[in-house]
Amino acid sequence: MKINAKDLAAGLVLLAFAVAGLYLNLDHTLGNARRMGPGYMPMLAFGLLFFLSITIMGLALFSGPDKLDRWAWREMFLILAAICVFGLILEKAGMLLTLTVTIAISSLADRTHKPLGVLGLIAFLVALCWLVFIYWLDIRIPVWPTYFAY
Amino acid sequence: METLFANLALGFSVAFSFENLTFALLGAFIGTAIGVLPGIGPVATISLLLPITFGMSPTTAIIMLAGIYYGSQYGGSTTAILLNLPGEVSSVVTVIEGYKMARNGRAGAALATAALGSFFAGSVATVVVAASGPLLTSVALSFGPADYFSLMFLGLIISAVLAQGSIVKGIGMVVLGVGLGLVGTDVQTGQQRFTFGVPELSDGVGFVAIAMGMFGIAEIILNLERPESRNVMTNKVGSLYLTREEFRRAVPAVLRGTALGTVLGILPGGGASLSAFGSYMVERKVSKYRHLFGTGAIEGVAGPEAANNAAAQSSFIPLLTLGIPANAVMALMVGALIIQGIQPGPRMVEAQPDLFWGLICSMWVGNLMLVIINLPMIGMWVKLLEVPYRHLYPAIMIFCSIGIYSINNNVFDVYLMVLFGIFGYLCSKLKLEGAPLLIGFVLGPMMEEHLRRAMLLSRGDIMVFIERPISASMLAIAAIALLAMLLPGLRSGKEKAMAEGG
Repeated sequence: MKINAKDLAAGLVLLAFAVAGLYLNLDHTLGNARRMGPGYMPMLAFGLLFFLSITIMGLALFSGPDKLDRWAWREMFLILAAICVFGLILEKAGMLLTLTVTIAISSLADRTHKPLGVLGLIAFLVALCWLVFIYWLDIRIPVWPTYFAY
Repeated sequence: METLFANLALGFSVAFSFENLTFALLGAFIGTAIGVLPGIGPVATISLLLPITFGMSPTTAIIMLAGIYYGSQYGGSTTAILLNLPGEVSSVVTVIEGYKMARNGRAGAALATAALGSFFAGSVATVVVAASGPLLTSVALSFGPADYFSLMFLGLIISAVLAQGSIVKGIGMVVLGVGLGLVGTDVQTGQQRFTFGVPELSDGVGFVAIAMGMFGIAEIILNLERPESRNVMTNKVGSLYLTREEFRRAVPAVLRGTALGTVLGILPGGGASLSAFGSYMVERKVSKYRHLFGTGAIEGVAGPEAANNAAAQSSFIPLLTLGIPANAVMALMVGALIIQGIQPGPRMVEAQPDLFWGLICSMWVGNLMLVIINLPMIGMWVKLLEVPYRHLYPAIMIFCSIGIYSINNNVFDVYLMVLFGIFGYLCSKLKLEGAPLLIGFVLGPMMEEHLRRAMLLSRGDIMVFIERPISASMLAIAAIALLAMLLPGLRSGKEKAMAEGG
């Protein structure tokens, strides 16, 4: 038996969504085919997904071997952390400071970065973002820190 | 015929307004840039620039976004030919013969073939869009809700069948997308579905957050884990002029590629990459010079490059006439139009004639601009290739972050994008395709509405889908497409084809 681990995991992921969807859908009125309630279409969609995910897992038992790939945990964590920090501090710290911190964190994800290069990159991108988003598009976004303002 | 000319005149007057010309040029420019750069594609770029287009008029916004899409088809070939590395998925097969030509000292000729072939294909496909648009629209107006439902069903099935990899997984992603599309307030009863009481979710999951997360952020992580390997054939572009012999060989390939691309582009899930690939297979079979394939045959550049550009244009046909996206980029266009308050569909030609005809004419103008952007300025794009990825990804990342925040001025969307970034990375690790999910997400709510309406009209009788001839034929085609893929011969053919392409 050649197990396709990727497909098996993919089926599990989809199955999890289907089960969660069907469970949450218990709150919604189904109605009947003539007058469909809010729960009717979700029932069809997640029900179909349920059977599809079972099929995927069934087929996965014979279509392998295909091992799971390694994950780039470090890169993933750093990139996502950088964006989360962006979301956390943007409204308090303003765009300029936030971008500096965000770019600095994300630059750790690539080991070929050099400190001076990162500084240059920050200066360039902050200027570019100011030009595009503040000067040209004039979007509602705080530029300077507002933390001490109150 | 007369109305066609009147319509085209209207279209050109819209396309030649200063604002629209500027943004068509900007779109073509950005498109070429991201086409040249490996690691960022049109889906990520268009979702990144969606927030910027909110302030523009709908016509200008769509003209610019369209420019990015077909511009990236031009740019992708540059990287393929000079770098032995596809700049876009759709130029994967251009690498095979294009790079060989470059090694033979004919890089310039290959680039010129790609650009001129693309221009020819783009022009033809634009005419096809202009001619078939109103025709299909009048057909589409006679569609009832049941027909629409079946049509969307067919679209989803075909997009899953044509997607790379396993069909069952493709359909699974489509259905998951449909499910995600149902999150939010139910239109008919006002009930909150799957919102967990989060007020931000009552309008549904943010479309841009999904697209940016799965195609922008996840892509960055994937690129970072692969070490960069580029060896540019710089300063060796050579003469851009084709010899008489090369020209004679390229013309039939371009013609075949154009025809194939125009047809395949209309199919849901088809789009640029499938057409390029199909054209390469055709050329290798029917070309008189097929024995030269593998040594730098010009047909292998001319055909696929014409095909991917023709498909990029003709994939607008289902969007403009039926309101149904043929691929992930078109799904983004639907999103852009809806945000602008325009419901894409058969009524768009009448309700928004300046958008419809303006877009078509701007496509032709844009293609002309692209020849100029690509050929004389080729040196500049080669320089762009020297920008390392480590300087690119922070820029992509912060543009995504600011863009997603600015849509609602809400950090919730930023976190949602992060979640879909993780999900997108997970999906690509498990070989689950993102594009079918995006198409399902856009079509899901529309399907629910049409299904409800159809069943209400038929008093709950499912037979309505089989009794109506239009609906029945759509379902029959869907069934045939599914069955055909279950036949082992065809499936192994597709898998072999995909394997050689990738």
